[in-house]
Order: sequence, then structure tokens, then C-alpha cells
Amino acid sequence: MKGLSVRGVAKSFGPQEVLCGVDLRVPDGSFTAILGASGSGKTTLLRIVAGFERPDRGEVWLGPELVDNAGSRYLACERRRIGYVPQEGALFPHLSVGRNVGFGLSRDAARRTRVDELLELVGLSGYRRRYPHQLSGGQQQRVALARALAIEPEVVLLDEPFSSLDAALRASVRSDVLGVLRQAGTTSVLVTHDQDEALSMADQVAVLRDGVVAQLDTPAGLYGHPEDAAVAQFLGEANLIEGEISDGIATTMLGRLRVGSWSGPSSGLARVMVRPEQIHLGEVGEGIDGVVASYEYYGHDAVVRIRLERLGVPEPGVPELVVRITGGPPLTPGLRVGLSVRGPVVAWPAVPGGAENSRE
Amino acid sequence: MRRGWLHRHHRPGGRRPIGLTVAAALVSAVVLVPLVFLVVQAVQVGWAELRHLLFRHLTAVLVWNTVSLVVVVTVICAVVGTLAAWFVERTDVPGRRWFAVLVVIPLGIPDFVVSFGWRAIFPSIGGFWAAVLVMSLAVYPLVFLPVAASLRSADPAQEEVARSLGLGRVRTFWTVTVGQARVAILGGAILVGLVVLAEFGAFEILGYQTLTTEIYNEFQVGFNEPAACALSLVLVLLGALLLATEDLVRGSGRTSRLGAGAARATKRVTLGRARLGALAGLALLVVLALGVPVGAILYLIVQGGQSTLPPASLWIATGNTFAYAAAAGVVATIAALPIALLSVRFVRPGVLALERVNMLVLAVPGLVVALSLTYLTEHFLQGRFYLTDPLLVIAYAIMFFPLAIVSVRAAIARAPTGLEEVGRSLGVHRHAVMWRVTVPLVAPGLAAAFALVFLETATELTATLVLHPTNVETLATQFWAYQSNLSYSQAAPYALVMVLIAAVPGYVLGRWFDRQPERMAQAGAAPVTAAPALVAA
Repeated sequence: MKGLSVRGVAKSFGPQEVLCGVDLRVPDGSFTAILGASGSGKTTLLRIVAGFERPDRGEVWLGPELVDNAGSRYLACERRRIGYVPQEGALFPHLSVGRNVGFGLSRDAARRTRVDELLELVGLSGYRRRYPHQLSGGQQQRVALARALAIEPEVVLLDEPFSSLDAALRASVRSDVLGVLRQAGTTSVLVTHDQDEALSMADQVAVLRDGVVAQLDTPAGLYGHPEDAAVAQFLGEANLIEGEISDGIATTMLGRLRVGSWSGPSSGLARVMVRPEQIHLGEVGEGIDGVVASYEYYGHDAVVRIRLERLGVPEPGVPELVVRITGGPPLTPGLRVGLSVRGPVVAWPAVPGGAENSRE
Repeated sequence: MRRGWLHRHHRPGGRRPIGLTVAAALVSAVVLVPLVFLVVQAVQVGWAELRHLLFRHLTAVLVWNTVSLVVVVTVICAVVGTLAAWFVERTDVPGRRWFAVLVVIPLGIPDFVVSFGWRAIFPSIGGFWAAVLVMSLAVYPLVFLPVAASLRSADPAQEEVARSLGLGRVRTFWTVTVGQARVAILGGAILVGLVVLAEFGAFEILGYQTLTTEIYNEFQVGFNEPAACALSLVLVLLGALLLATEDLVRGSGRTSRLGAGAARATKRVTLGRARLGALAGLALLVVLALGVPVGAILYLIVQGGQSTLPPASLWIATGNTFAYAAAAGVVATIAALPIALLSVRFVRPGVLALERVNMLVLAVPGLVVALSLTYLTEHFLQGRFYLTDPLLVIAYAIMFFPLAIVSVRAAIARAPTGLEEVGRSLGVHRHAVMWRVTVPLVAPGLAAAFALVFLETATELTATLVLHPTNVETLATQFWAYQSNLSYSQAAPYALVMVLIAAVPGYVLGRWFDRQPERMAQAGAAPVTAAPALVAA
């Protein structure tokens, strides 16, 4: 197996610069997710790695081999041994499942056995003679994966392979695919706009934004220590409030909070992020006063929106706080509660002028 | 569902389609030759002369004859085609599966053969209403096919909602059902109009004078090229007006269906006592449109009682017709490839304009194409190519080029670049991927394009009469020669072979495409249904 690295890759389509200097290292045998909003260039990056597209600048390395340097060096996609699983599978509609899987294999006696092995690996033994249109979306996706794995690729690229599946199917296909890839031990790169997918599947996640990698970290690192407010909001819900830092403590409207991650001067104005699950609701008087604005019940947990009040009057200019709670009785809007924050929070130096740097 | 990625328009390796663009531009230039040389000829004739030729009583009569016929036939076809489609697709009329096929077959029978059949049985018919009858029976399927398709795909829930809102059955039909099919009806109607404008043989047989019959006579009989040119300008102008209407219609008429939920199977309207009436109506339509012409031909053959088997000239003519039709099919299909490739894989405003330009040919009747090519060879090529095989084949290819483009485009759309990329990523070389993925996916659609042009060419009369090499007879020219001498029973076998060539394979191919699994069926429609698809192109 080989790792993969991308150095300073840039690509424009006409006047529009889609990628402007992407650096990414994918260690051997790891599972990396590239997370980005639609239009962030993540698919283009994948296509450059696969060799379908040439970069304008930069280099692509497969293990020790330079496969594209935006100039004279270019290894054709058919010689890269990169398995590619596109959106919706893109099975060859005129070929049976068996022939789809065996497409990249040479015609010899071993092919049949190999195809059967792969179909078993993805849990579709017995489907060899079916045609793509006779399969469900999830089955098509798994055939596409088997087809990509057939050539024993160094790297497998998955381009939003689950986005066309419905929610119920997505989770199971996702874990099936992850299981298969782990078993095969390949280096895998998944492109997605779904943060749950990225966080739950990957060893490391690269957040792609405005054509560059905004942050590359483990899922926990990314969630716990986002580089900036926009990354924080992209990875799950986040309450962003104003605060003032001094000596590792942020003074905010939620009280004095311990700052776990801070990259500014030792004191000053800051934006402070509190995750919904960090806020604890208690009786009035326990901590900060608030009023329940709405309550959405999801079974495994519930999301409560809280309006902060001072002396019975809503605080001007303060957004509602999002709180995630598990268990307990339903909370009716208008109920008064007390808020307290648990665990360290993340803070960044406040942007002058307070311009909101949020996305979507 | 996101469906975009497969059809990404980025070129692998950043290649720009320069070769394709050049090829497409060259093809378009050739396709536009008839239009261009019609204008060149008009300029050479000069405005004074043109004015003299155009502003006379005869022109007014011809335009009136032509336009009134177009309007009446179009309205009748719209009504008959829509009603027939509704009965077949939406009601429980008995035998509807049979009617779905029988009602379409007349499209394959050449209009001049329908006309011939009626004339053979009722020798006294002629004039305006005979022309209306014959043309309506010959071309109403052009409305039936798209309307039936649109009724099949429309959401039946809309009708139920209308009923629940208190609308009666008849008002529901008018507001909802006709509303759903509006684009299809108007699109089909415009095609009907174009076909009637271009028709020559049927009117000549019925002795009804239109622009085309007069152009033909001025040119072939009177050798009056300036007059033919002047009237051709009027004809093309009328065609262009019709095409422009099509743009208007398409701009305003969008039907929409919210949500991606599959439409339920249509619940058919129970006709009750009206069932027998509907059955009788459809049966009458089939008898008039199919029974009369085919019956007449068979009757003529039997009654003609030629003890000898079909003459050798029938086989020779059939061979020639096949050869021309096959050549035209191949040329048109290959010529359509660059434009179709560009328009599917490299979408840009310029490319779309190029495609639209080629559709202009729809407004140019075959007779005008033939005259224009004649003019070109006489005045610019010192008579070279005139009355040669290549010129005739090129004329056919130009005339039916829009058909080829629509089918080839649909064929190419079935093999998105995404599939080729996946194939290559599996370690298979570009050329091998081409053979194993692209060609198998595209081939059925290309075959459909070929078949469509083949069928149209095999039954083409007007351009063939003008351009066929002197010593080469085709089914159409032989038929015409006998028919003109009133030797009906000798003309009949030629008509029969044309009907067989056009109707039978059309029917078989149509069924074959119908039966393909859903994914395959996108191939680009059955040949018969591709004609109306022009309007949706």
C-alpha cells in the first residue's frame, strides 16, 4: 500500500479558481475524509488525484512516485492503480454485476473466482448475473466498491458515494463499506459534505474551504479544537458568544468559562464557542437564567432553544442558545431554567468589527 | 437525487475539442448549403424580378391554398391525435393495446401512398377537402405519439385533485389533461404543419394546387427557375414562421411535477356506455388511415391480375432504394456525431447555437433542398455532380439531418464521460474502454438514427424525382411514373414495398425499444417516436 500526497495543487475552470494551493498528506493505510460544502472543490481535488483532471499548478504523489506535476510528468489514470467509486456507483448499465466487477481484471481463469470473492466481500454473492438496474441504490454502491477493489488498488477514492442513498440505508451501507475497506487495508480518501459521515468514518478529516485545506486533524481534534468559528459551525452546531479573555478564563454572558484552546494574546476580546451538549440545564437560580423558546424531541436526545433573560426582559442582540439534552421530561416553551457550561470551551480572538464569518 | 456528476463537461487532461468543433462547423456549413444558395439564387434573380413574380394573383392563391390547408389539417390532427391518445392511454376502451400500435402505423405510410390509395378507390375525389382528409389521416400520429407519451408520464393525481375540487369530468379533461399535454400537442401540431407545408406528391395526385406543386411544375415542367426560387422563398418563410412558433411554445409551456415520488400507475377512466362509441371511433380511424390505403394497394395488385410475378424492375428499384437509404443513413448518422458530441459533452452557448442552426433545415422542404442543390451544381460547379448518386445522398442526409441529430444526441447521452473515466481508473486503456463501454452503450441509439433516416429516405419522393440519376429508378420514382400514367395497378406493387419498408421495421423497432429495460430504453426512443422528439429536442 502507498500513501498519497498532494502539494500546492491549484486548478481553475475559466475565470473561477476552484483550488488554490491544496496541501494534503494521506498516510499509508489510513482513511481520510475531505469535508467541504458543495462547490468547495473537493470533487475536483479527487479527480486530479485520480488523473481525470490535470492541475494548473502543484504536484500529486502516490507513495514515492510523482504522478502529476502540472507539467511534463503525468501518469495516465489507467496506470495509477487508483480505485474510484463515483457518486451513484456509475455501474456500466449494459454489463452484468459480474462483468462490472471483473471489468479491470484480465480475462483468465482466475477472474471468475476473484469476482466471486469480491462479491462475497461486499455481501452480494449470488448477484453475479443481475444487471445494475435490478439492484437497489445501496447494492449498486457496493458493486461499485467491489469493482474498484478488484484491481487491488493502492488507493481507493470515494466521491460522495452515499449522498444518493436515503438516510436509513446510508448508515448501513456506510458501515459495510468501511468494514470492507478496513479489511482490504487500502488507503482511502472519501469526499463528502456530510460532517457525520466524515467524523464517524475517517482517521483524519481535511476541511476544504475556499480552495484550500482549512484544517487537517483527527475527527476529535477537529470537533474539539476547530481552527476558526466557520470550521466549528461546519462541524456540528455551535453557540458563538462574545467574551473577554484573561488568564485562561473567558468572561461571557454564560459566566466565567475555562478556555481549553486559545491562540490569541493572553488577554483581549474573543469569540467563544460552546457546543450544545456542553450546556447543562438545571433549576432556576443554578447558573444563568434563561427561558425555553422551543423544544424539539428526537427520541435519543432533544434540542432546546434557550432565550437569555435579564430581569424578565430578553437580552437585546443575543441569539438563542442551542442546547442538546438527553432524557428528562419534555420542556414547555416559557419554562424558566438555569444554564451552566461544562468542560473547557474554545475561543478565538474577536474579528475586528465583529463581521460574521459563517458559511451557508 | 443528484444526477450531475456523470455529465461533467471537463475534459480529461484539459483537451479542447478543436477537431470536433471544426468538424461540426463543416457539417453545419454543408447542411446550410440549400438555405444559403436559395438566397444566392434570389439575389441573382434580383428584387425587381422577384417582386414581379411574387406580387401576382397566382401567389396569393397558392399561399391561401397552402396556409388554409396547413391550418385545417393541423387543427384536425391536434384534435384527433389528442383524443386518440387519451382514449388509448387513459380509458378502458377495449383493445387499447392493439390500437396503441395500429393508430401509429399510418405514420410509416408515405403521404402520397395514402393519397394514391384513396384516389384509387374513389377516383372522383380531389380538391381542398380531399387534401384535408388524406393529410389528416396520414400525419395525425405526429400528434398522437408525443401526447400519448406525455399522458403516460403525467401525474394522474392532478386529475383526481381537479375532480376533488369540484370540476366535472369534461372540465377536468380540458383544464388538467389537455393542460398536461399542452406542450406535446403544440409540438406535434407544429410538426404536422411542417410536413403539410413540405408535402408534394399527395397534392399532385389529388390535383390540389399548393406552393410545392407549383414550384415543382415551374421547375420540372416549365423550366422557370426564377419563379420556382421566388415561391420557394415564400415556402421557407412559412416554415421558418412555424419553427419560430415552436420556440415561443416551448418558452412558455413548462409542466412541472414537484417531488421525485414515482407517479402511481394511472387509474383509467371508466367509459361505461361510451365504451362502444370510443371503440367505434378508434376502429374507424384505423380503417380510414390504414385500411383504405393498404386495402386499395392490395386490391389493385389482386385485381390488376398480372399473371406474371413482380417485374424485375421492382427488384432493381427496391435495391436502388435500399442503397440510397442506407447511404443516406450512414452519412447523416456520421455527420451528426460531431455536433451531438459537442452538444452533450461540451455544453456551451456557441454549441447550442450550432445545434439550433442545423434544426433550421426543418423549415426547408425537400423540394427546395433539391432545387437549391441543382442551382448550386449548375451555376457554381459547371454541372458536375448534377444528377449523381453523391448529390442525391447528400440531399437526403441534409433533409433528414435533424432526425439524425436528435437520435445521435440521445445515444451519446447514454454514455457519459463519467463511465469512461471509471473504466480507465480500473486500469483499462482508453481505446479498450471505448470498445467495451462507449460503443455498446451508444450503438443502439446510432442504429436508431440510421434506421430513422433510412426509413424516411426510402419513402422520399420529391427530392428523388428532381435529383435521381437519369438511368437509376427507385421505388418512389417508378411508383410516380406509373401513377402519373394512371397505371394504378402497375404502381401498386411499388407502393406496397414502400409501405412494408417503412411500416414494418418501424413497428418492430418501436416494440423492441419499448421492451428494453428502463435504463436501456433511454436509448433515444423508438424510431417512430423520434420524429415527434424533434420538437422536444
